[in-house]
Amino acid sequence: MTPPASHSRHAVALLLAVLAVGYWLASGYYGKELVAETAITAILAMSLSLLVGQAGLVSLGHAAYFGIGAYALAGFGQKLGWPPALAMAAAVAVGALLALVVGWVAVRLAGVFFIMITLAVGEMIHAWFLKDRSFGGVGGMSGVPRLDLSGIGVDLADPAQFALFALAVALLVYLLLDRLVLSPFGQTLRAIHQNEERARALGCPVGRYKLAAFVVAGAVAALAGTLAAQRSAFVSPELMTWTLSGEILIVVIVGGSGSLLGVSAAAALWIGLRHQLSTMTDHWMLAMGVIFVVLVLVAGDGIDGALRGLWRRIAARRAARRAA
Amino acid sequence: MIIQLLNGLQLAMLLFLLSVGLSVVFGLMRFVNLAHGTLFMLGAFVGLSTVEATGSFWLALAAGTLAAAVAGGLLYLGLLRRLQPAGPLKQVLVTFGLIFIGLEVARLVWGDYAERLPGPASLAGATEIFGVYYPTYRLFVIALGLAVAALLHFGLERTRLGAVIRAGVDDRTMTAALGIDIDRVFFAVFVVGCALAGLAGVVAGPVLSVYAGMDMGVLILALVVVVIGGPGSLKGAFAGALLVGMAETFGQVWLPEVAGMLLYGLMAAVLVLRPQGLLPAGPRA
Repeated sequence: MTPPASHSRHAVALLLAVLAVGYWLASGYYGKELVAETAITAILAMSLSLLVGQAGLVSLGHAAYFGIGAYALAGFGQKLGWPPALAMAAAVAVGALLALVVGWVAVRLAGVFFIMITLAVGEMIHAWFLKDRSFGGVGGMSGVPRLDLSGIGVDLADPAQFALFALAVALLVYLLLDRLVLSPFGQTLRAIHQNEERARALGCPVGRYKLAAFVVAGAVAALAGTLAAQRSAFVSPELMTWTLSGEILIVVIVGGSGSLLGVSAAAALWIGLRHQLSTMTDHWMLAMGVIFVVLVLVAGDGIDGALRGLWRRIAARRAARRAA
Repeated sequence: MIIQLLNGLQLAMLLFLLSVGLSVVFGLMRFVNLAHGTLFMLGAFVGLSTVEATGSFWLALAAGTLAAAVAGGLLYLGLLRRLQPAGPLKQVLVTFGLIFIGLEVARLVWGDYAERLPGPASLAGATEIFGVYYPTYRLFVIALGLAVAALLHFGLERTRLGAVIRAGVDDRTMTAALGIDIDRVFFAVFVVGCALAGLAGVVAGPVLSVYAGMDMGVLILALVVVVIGGPGSLKGAFAGALLVGMAETFGQVWLPEVAGMLLYGLMAAVLVLRPQGLLPAGPRA
């Protein structure tokens, strides 16, 4: 659990965005793909951060909501031929609905049981799309429509422009979630995380708050999923494997679970590292597993905590100098 | 119909072998070893290699079981025991990371291809039962599961060690206060649970195919078994395995479209109506 960030956080957000755009300008074709992937991963990680960092709900099945968003966009936009914008909104709603159905049961369970049920349900949904022929089964389905932004001169079929669009959406999601985290709703989530018994004794409907957090996280993850589907105009069950849920959890732990900016920075680090690893070896998941285990063993507050500790030390030294 | 019943029973027995260790370990230590499915896969692969080397299924059964027990023991002593002060959540997450490692190690050692583990020649063919011909090997799986269940039941209910384990599940602190070395008991239970997972892996080899990644599907079913049955109890694991095995089998036959949802519905129904599971462990009335 992380306390709300200080006022400098928007400056840090701006810095991150500037860094991303700078990288976008400096890099070639592949670098722009990495920017898009980072932005999408950051949105997904921020949604899980709300669960893990604020509400203390460790979900091992978060990829399911990401994948369902992608598939719902494909279903509404391609199969039913809805306009992409409407299909995207509907896909986010489907993510929220799925989270509502799963969360209704899952939030009754604490700790280890919550982990077990989110993992189990996530894999059930994955297995469903592996088998289901109407969405292409294992092979997936291509031809997912993209949002038409020609009105403002943006063509999302161009990977470079898509990367900037995804970055803009990530920034928007950050601003929204940041407001949510600082709102009384966010405070209540942290109170529940800190001491559920006390929150309950104070008359807080604990289950309803957890469910609401689960639904919001599911909706935002589905939004990230709609972006992933548009990026490649393709959906496949790969989008909802347990390995992705694991990756996102790594990102959230590294980033300092409750810090939206920390997990976004960690998303960039992770995408970069994974890219490096996968060019070196086909077995990069082995390294990923080792990183995961080591991280859980040593995890304190992640990037966010480390930076804050540094900042505090600098501030203390400055104060000492001033006093002297 | 009878064939489907037998198929369901056979799957249930595999699930029972797999989930009983998971369940009793949870009852004692409040954590779930998510790498349990990985040990199942290890048992299957070691069994496969043993059959290829020696040609003997029975040797493979022993080797796979032993390999999973040793791996589980090392895992516990080397990693999980040290994490105990950090609490169950860290233990669970570490075992989740181990799934990735196990998967890649299996790919490196045994490759990417699915293989079928040949069953023993003595159990080839079919046997007539209840008026239908049913593969003899699958009948063996059912019999083995029932035998292990009976053995575990006897061990838990009638032996001194069983009484200690039951006491530990009920109240760990009080049991330790009575001068029982609960950590050693737990270690023994953990290793036996892992051995059973390995056994299940070899036994499943001729029925399912053996490949890197076979662990995830069974792990999910085992988790559902534990949640439905009520963690910590042998009877719960047995009842949960029966329910899940039958729901899976009949779901695939009658309602293939919604088989996955059937399982979720079952789990949701149990958790909403009886959050503690069907037959949870605890003091008997």
